[in-house]
Amino acid sequence: MAESKPFNGNLAVHVRGVTKSFGKGEAKTFALKGVNFDARQGELLMIVGPSGCGKTTLLSVIAGTLNCDEGEVEVFGSQIEKLKPRQVTEFRKKNVGFIFQQFNLIPTLSLIENVSVPLLINGVGRREAESKSRDLLDKLGLKGRGKERPTNLSGGQQQRVAIARALVHEPRLIICDEPTSALDKETGARIMELLRETAIAPDRCVIVVTHDSRVYKYADRMTEMEDGRVERVHENIQLNPPKGDH
Amino acid sequence: MYQIALKMLLGDRSKYIMLLGGLTFSALLMTQQCSVFFGLLSWTTSHMRNMRASIWVVDPKVEQLNEIKPMRDTDVNRVRSVKGVGFAVPLYTGIVQARMPDGAFKPVQLVGLDSASLVGRPPVILAGELAQLRLPHAVMIDQLGVKRLSFGRPHPLGIGDTFEINDREARIVGICKTDLHFFGYPYVYTTYDEALQFGPKERKMLSIVLAEPAKGYTAEQTARLIEKDTHLKAYTEPEFKKATLDWYFKNTGIPISFGTTILLGFIVGIVVSGQTFYSFVLENLKNLGALKAMGASNGLIARMLVIQALTVGFLGYGIGVGMTVLFGMGASKNGQPPFLFPYQLPLFTLAVILIICLFSAFLGILKIYKLEPAIVFRG
Repeated sequence: MAESKPFNGNLAVHVRGVTKSFGKGEAKTFALKGVNFDARQGELLMIVGPSGCGKTTLLSVIAGTLNCDEGEVEVFGSQIEKLKPRQVTEFRKKNVGFIFQQFNLIPTLSLIENVSVPLLINGVGRREAESKSRDLLDKLGLKGRGKERPTNLSGGQQQRVAIARALVHEPRLIICDEPTSALDKETGARIMELLRETAIAPDRCVIVVTHDSRVYKYADRMTEMEDGRVERVHENIQLNPPKGDH
Repeated sequence: MYQIALKMLLGDRSKYIMLLGGLTFSALLMTQQCSVFFGLLSWTTSHMRNMRASIWVVDPKVEQLNEIKPMRDTDVNRVRSVKGVGFAVPLYTGIVQARMPDGAFKPVQLVGLDSASLVGRPPVILAGELAQLRLPHAVMIDQLGVKRLSFGRPHPLGIGDTFEINDREARIVGICKTDLHFFGYPYVYTTYDEALQFGPKERKMLSIVLAEPAKGYTAEQTARLIEKDTHLKAYTEPEFKKATLDWYFKNTGIPISFGTTILLGFIVGIVVSGQTFYSFVLENLKNLGALKAMGASNGLIARMLVIQALTVGFLGYGIGVGMTVLFGMGASKNGQPPFLFPYQLPLFTLAVILIICLFSAFLGILKIYKLEPAIVFRG
């Protein structure tokens, strides 16, 4: 297993010795087997690997949506595993933005309302939330379509809305789970470009789980996982894109 | 977020309509059936509203108002002699046959009032004068009587018209308004002496003695004194009403039959609404999981579910009760079916509908509390 290289910059995510198992007794299986992992501020980091290697489980643990069995998970200085459930929820509310594989937009809400949800959860007033959401949708190329329903949009457009929803409350950590796997090659590429343009910021970290090798080139660094462990970390992807397709 | 919750609910048309339909039907069934039940029960004591007295003295074996065992005429004087009785008058009540022009018969409720005082008089006189009831063969009939007994005549019965009761001519001197009889018979008022002529001849003819307490006595005190001195049964108005209602509860299938329908309304409400709301939550599990992942607390999502459940609850309640009121308006226009809508009834239905809604929301909340936000990452 390859360890992360020493890094002197500000770490956004610092994971050490994390294990996570599912099931009990003989049915018990380990999804994460002592994972060490770092993600830096200002970068787009991809977690790649074959299906079942534990990348989504690692993402869930980092996002605070799943508790690990053992190990340390530090996200922007907060020890996630030591927080109480209510504190973890509060942490996610303020610091984490999500982009899901199936977009997870609420079909009965308009695009503006969908994007407003994180702001509303954070207690922002409806008018302010909708105004911010409208502005962000405009920036993401959906000007004038805020009142439409997600079902009227193409997959790529829906993922743009999901990106807007993930960014609208200006979180420091953006979690993306297979953001391009439901999209065709061209749309996927456009989404990744958009993500790089809009999501990356000096005090923010974007973590993307994917097994779509076509989008590897959009990563700053890449963590490769296999069988519940981090196998290797690829640096300077923009200059030397790795080969292979998971 | 509550507005978002409502949009989530209203946006899912089929579930929303199903929920609303279930709760509306439940509210309608419970309110309408209760109203008819209360109306029917109120009919059992319609004599009390149509004859009105503080104390009702009857044979000791009488258990309820609609089954009277005649007493001796001298019992009136025995009651009058009791200390604490202000006055006491005889009353005849009995079901007799009124003959129609085509020879058919219609049963009517004959009420014979004390000729001197006319105590027990109809509550509302619409036409004619009460005093004329003292004329020979004079009767006063209610609106239902006009409707029923006019059948086969060229014009509706009115003052001056005649019909036959037990082969004796009865001349109408007035039209009155009464509360409907439990058996649906029209009321025909006359004097006690005339009633004895109209009614079938029996050894004992006195049905009830109506009494009022003397000054300084309450109805209860006087009733107990009458019982003590005469060994007759003396009921105050509330006592007789209660005894009558109790009798119908114990001796008829009315409460069980209506109770079953009302229970059915509750079960339909809880099953349809609970099941539909739960499946609404299940179908939205991914979205709710996404909200949890984004930082919505269990409490916030629980409140959203409660808002959703209460919204359909109040809407369903409003529509259901509204439909009952429309039914009631129709019923009061036609005089039947029986309908009584006390203010406690909508409050009761509201409470039951709220219980159904909160139970439905509770099922969803249980699911949400167990829901891991990581569910959103599972394809």
